[in-house]
Amino acid sequence: MAGKEVLQSLLLPLAALSLWFGLSASGLAPGYLLPSPATVFDSGLNYIFGSPGDGPYAGRFAGDLAASLVRVLLGFAIAAGLGIPLGICSGRLALVNRLVASSVAGLRAVPGICWLPLALIWFGIGIKTTVFLVALAAFFPIYQNALTGARLVAPIYYQAGAMLGVSRLRGVFAILLPMAMPNIITGLRLGMGIAWAYLVLGELTGVPDGLGAVIIDARMLGQTDIILVGIILIAVIGRVCDRLLVAGLRLLFKSARRQR
Amino acid sequence: MIPATHGELETAGRPVILEITGLSHHFVHDGAVVPVLRELTLTVREGELVCLIGRSGCGKSTLLKIVAGFLAPTAGRCRLDGRPIQRPGPDRGVVFQEDALFPWLTVRENIGFGLTGQHWPRQQRQREVDRILDLVGLQDCGDYLPQALSGGMKQRVALARVLIRFPRLLLMDEPFGALDAQAREEMQELLLDLVRRRRQTILFVTHDVQEAVVIADRVVVLERNGGRIREELTIDLARPRDRGDGRFQACCSRLRQWLRT
Ligand SMILES: Nc1ncnc2c1ncn2[C@@H]1O[C@H](COP(=O)(O)OP(=O)(O)OP(=O)(O)O)[C@@H](O)[C@H]1O
Ligand SMILES: [Mg+2]
Repeated sequence: MAGKEVLQSLLLPLAALSLWFGLSASGLAPGYLLPSPATVFDSGLNYIFGSPGDGPYAGRFAGDLAASLVRVLLGFAIAAGLGIPLGICSGRLALVNRLVASSVAGLRAVPGICWLPLALIWFGIGIKTTVFLVALAAFFPIYQNALTGARLVAPIYYQAGAMLGVSRLRGVFAILLPMAMPNIITGLRLGMGIAWAYLVLGELTGVPDGLGAVIIDARMLGQTDIILVGIILIAVIGRVCDRLLVAGLRLLFKSARRQR
Repeated sequence: MIPATHGELETAGRPVILEITGLSHHFVHDGAVVPVLRELTLTVREGELVCLIGRSGCGKSTLLKIVAGFLAPTAGRCRLDGRPIQRPGPDRGVVFQEDALFPWLTVRENIGFGLTGQHWPRQQRQREVDRILDLVGLQDCGDYLPQALSGGMKQRVALARVLIRFPRLLLMDEPFGALDAQAREEMQELLLDLVRRRRQTILFVTHDVQEAVVIADRVVVLERNGGRIREELTIDLARPRDRGDGRFQACCSRLRQWLRT
């Protein structure tokens, strides 16, 4: 990005930050509702780099991050592992679509949070419940976009493939997946975003560690600064995950690298 | 005045490659049967360039799809070198009217795509791709993606990716339809050069009468909506053919006459 574009993309965050400064400095927003940026910054440093003796949250970041990442990635992997093949099959095979479509539509109509009580009964408090919720929520956009991508591939490309000696099975990997790749990527990115949202929901339930757990924990103790630290960190890490996902796909697949 | 013949006299004695007999096809559209081809009979001999012309919707593409093996006919026989056509095969190559290049592959990769099933040593494959690139005049664009190519260049790649497999029969469905007059003439020359060098057998669909008379050994006119062959005309004019020539224009007007009625 050129310098000017970087500046433009930073404009809104900077405006929000100055508003925050203004609100805290003028005393319009009391500290227990909205701690000043400096306080939050200090708490953040302490949370990330502090040593365990420095306070209840000091130095917990690495452990929380690891716990949350494992949950998100596990749930995301399950969602992608089911969503892509099922979506592709539904997009190409009328029979599979008839079998699956109405059930998926029905499940999707249920708000994700409704699954929480059931998940708690099935899996108890802990990693399984969170992974279940993350996988369930991330599944739908991944499935739907893979389906759309597969359905949109024009028959002429299969004919071209068949004419050039590609068998039906090889055509799935040589033609169908590359052609559907832009849609698959869209689905995966949406799924990754939702995965982080449902991570916090899953960690609401009282697990001891994780970025979502820290936020909930800090609310009980009235530590607004730590809540804000958690929110900012989840935003940053979510964005990093999105970037890494796109970069990884581009690294692995020509069809991701060379199509918008 | 005896023209240097190329058409009938030269190809008449050659073996028949494609033999279509009593071919009929209908589509079912909203429960109604729409007949397209009716008892059509046509043969193509080795090394021949046959042009198929006819009004829009008369079934030219349908016929080509059946020969390509993309579509099973309702009735009739369709044989290539004596064997019935049932599915697409390495003995036939198709150049489509619309862009059907793989958008995530470079020109070189698109051309080499048809060799992936065959177990070629990598180096030999590269050399073969380069040779064909030269042949279609794209030696400088090997690493381009299709999106960076003009319509004419795309059709060159589409031709190249088929030629590399040495098909017995080349099927072309209005391949130059979307090009401007200049690019179209260049492609016609390229095609004729190819026929001269490789003795490639071609079944070529066009709606452009002039194009047919420039390139064809024989022009086959489909009936307007009868689904049969209306007439055939052997073009025995020497090549390269002069569009201003009286006999050339006589051929054109005869074909136009048949197309109208
Ligand atoms: N998949 C299909 N289903 C139903 N009808 C079809 C189908 N494909 C073609 N047809 C019909 O068959 C007829 C012949 O179509 P075809 O594409 O072979 O014509 P064409 O001679 O190639 O025309 P053009 O010169 O416009 O390309 C048309 O009336 C068309 O509507
Ligand atoms: Mg057509």
